[in-house]
Amino acid sequence: MTPRAADPPALVGSVPLLSLEGVTIRFGGLVAVSDLDLDVPEGSIVVSDLDLDVPEGSIVSLIGPNGAGKTTAFNCISGVYAPSGGTVRFQGRRLERAFTPSTVWSALAVGLLTGLLFAAAAVDVDRLWQAVVKRGMITDEPFTLAGAADRLHGYFRAELAIDQMAGKWRIVSADGSDVLAIRRDLAEARAVRNELQAAVTARRAGPGTVPDATDTEQPGAAAGARVPLLHEELLDRLAAGKSRDVVARAGISRTFQNIRLFSNMTVLENVLVGLDRTIPGGAWAMLFRTPANRAAEAAAAARAFEALAFVGLQGDANRIAGQLPYGDQRRLEIARALATGATLLLLDEPAAGMNPAETSALAQLVERIRDRGLTVLLIEHHMNVVMRISDKVAVLDHGVKIAEGRPEDVRRDAKVIEAYLGGEG
Amino acid sequence: MSHLSALTPRDRALAFLRERWDLVALVVLAVAPLCIPALGGALGGQVTTLFIYCILALGLNVMVGYTGLVHLGIAAFFGIGAYCYAILTVPMYPFQMRFALAAAISGLAAAAVGLALGAPTLRLRGDYLAIVTLGFGEVVKVTLRNLEQITGGMKGLNPVPPPGAGVRLGDMDLGLAFAVDPRWFYYLALLVLAGVVVAMRRLENSRLGRAWVAVREDELAAAAMGISATKVKLSAFAMSSAVAGLAGCLYAASLSTTADPNAYDFNRSIMVLCAVILGGLGSIPGTLLGVALLVGFDTVLAPWADAWIQQMNINPTGSSLLSFSGWRLAVFGLALILVMRFRPAGLVPSRRLAAELHEVHG
Repeated sequence: MTPRAADPPALVGSVPLLSLEGVTIRFGGLVAVSDLDLDVPEGSIVVSDLDLDVPEGSIVSLIGPNGAGKTTAFNCISGVYAPSGGTVRFQGRRLERAFTPSTVWSALAVGLLTGLLFAAAAVDVDRLWQAVVKRGMITDEPFTLAGAADRLHGYFRAELAIDQMAGKWRIVSADGSDVLAIRRDLAEARAVRNELQAAVTARRAGPGTVPDATDTEQPGAAAGARVPLLHEELLDRLAAGKSRDVVARAGISRTFQNIRLFSNMTVLENVLVGLDRTIPGGAWAMLFRTPANRAAEAAAAARAFEALAFVGLQGDANRIAGQLPYGDQRRLEIARALATGATLLLLDEPAAGMNPAETSALAQLVERIRDRGLTVLLIEHHMNVVMRISDKVAVLDHGVKIAEGRPEDVRRDAKVIEAYLGGEG
Repeated sequence: MSHLSALTPRDRALAFLRERWDLVALVVLAVAPLCIPALGGALGGQVTTLFIYCILALGLNVMVGYTGLVHLGIAAFFGIGAYCYAILTVPMYPFQMRFALAAAISGLAAAAVGLALGAPTLRLRGDYLAIVTLGFGEVVKVTLRNLEQITGGMKGLNPVPPPGAGVRLGDMDLGLAFAVDPRWFYYLALLVLAGVVVAMRRLENSRLGRAWVAVREDELAAAAMGISATKVKLSAFAMSSAVAGLAGCLYAASLSTTADPNAYDFNRSIMVLCAVILGGLGSIPGTLLGVALLVGFDTVLAPWADAWIQQMNINPTGSSLLSFSGWRLAVFGLALILVMRFRPAGLVPSRRLAAELHEVHG
């Protein structure tokens, strides 16, 4: 372990990789907290007006007593919760699910399909089928799409039709419920049907026509006064709580305070899931095991082994993740998060439950991660780890940031000492 | 491979069986009709049904086994596939398509209905999803019964032509061959089953399969890896329904009727679900074994045992206590209880593949 020289250059005057501006998180009302085990009084403010910059290539620690809101801030950054107020910017951008054409198309497709099913049920698909398909089969003429379309049109205009029953031709109403006449001969039946239809048409066109519905013009539909379709607030609401995977794809990855591995999968598979979005190819490529798909899977496996070697788990690739010792599970979680190709890594108490030797190894690992060019935001209770590796420390107490700065300054801060040791009065 | 040489021949044979059980089973099943004349009769039809159930169970396994979404209405998709295939092929409707095209369309149609069911239920988990799928199964059954103009109501649609109807192979009518000799259908079902097994295994060991399992294991962590749980779950719905629809269309073709809508009710769903759980959730050999035991017991062993009892004249009065099928459900239940007590992960628990350590380049 070499002592680091002075301040890292990243702290001076660069654009922060991650910045929180006035982030407030309030629980209560309709906020779902079921995903994480949190015990918060209703309507309580967990994080209040938090400003924090994480410069690129640095290790920043977020510390504070239990219940200070550190993990909640993490969850907000990684998209588990949308902030009640303020913004989180990553590389200067807000991370929200992009409103792309494909979103629109897939929503439309699902909507159309569901709509079609309901519409089919509503128009009595049974009678529709009888009118369009079955009536096309009763004569010897070949079934054509044009004929079917014709009968469909006739069905919706409630025109009379010809049906067959027990060798006789029946002139029926469009839905087949009323029988108007029965004939033995098809030609004769057709003549009768046309005659009856003419009478019906004449009756329908008779007294009183339906008024045109076009004279109610929309006010404001004229030129000008164009309201933007999706303003920012609405986008926020649409994106709220739905952007976890979007955040991950943007380049933020995290570990969890209570380890969340895919415990029935192998170590290697855990890392491969982390690599998921870097593996090209769709379902067909997978089904047919195309050479490209094979190559992509092999390359992914090689990268996975690389990530495992980086955290020192290369020998355990085929073990089931849930059976690893606790410290190894923590390291596997880090390997999995690294595999996503993230530029910002959020580590939530990575040294929890580790002995001093493991803790020291972990501190080195975090430094090696930073030396790879990644940025690390760390929550940790082991103060020796925090003070040794952090470039910057922010202290939270009851959701409010009470101090921020270099480790040696923070540890001497009176408010920090009071928060940890309790006030005197 | 050097470690194998130290083993006795028996151990080596067992290891080979464990590694290549699929090939061994395929060869045995492919050769069986040539050696066992009974497969040219009723038994052939029963075993074909067994293959079809295997396909259905593999479809269900995608949702229940890999993705961990409880599905109690798989028979609905089986039914949708069967009816869709029948509508596209029966002589009373104008489509009269070839087998392969009709089968592909039925699979796609079932997948589309699966998506339509999946989309609104994405946020449901566990028991709640189970209730929805259960209800959906009933809705489909009742719909099939009530759409008399389309589905023929309780009569079902028939005659569904055999695959290859109207196709001539030399001077042999392929459709006629299918209708006369059950072995044709035996081989067709075996071929489709083998295809589905290959496809499932490939999916299992690829990105999509891992994403399915990851969502089952921990949805939040999967999302933190950039996996969209929405897409992954919908793909599971679609894949599961498509395979079930394919099984349904084979079923209708093999029976040459869709049977009545009650053939696609809750009992069938539960039977297949039991087979998957009994065999081992998320395990392909487990699922196949589960079906072979449960459905095989029901469709092959029980009729055979009944016939034997009759032949031996053990039960001249026809008492149900002395007939094998009278005890069918009791044996069924007992087997399930015993397996769940002694092998709670199933007969062949899902085994994650062991990967060789790759060279790390650079």
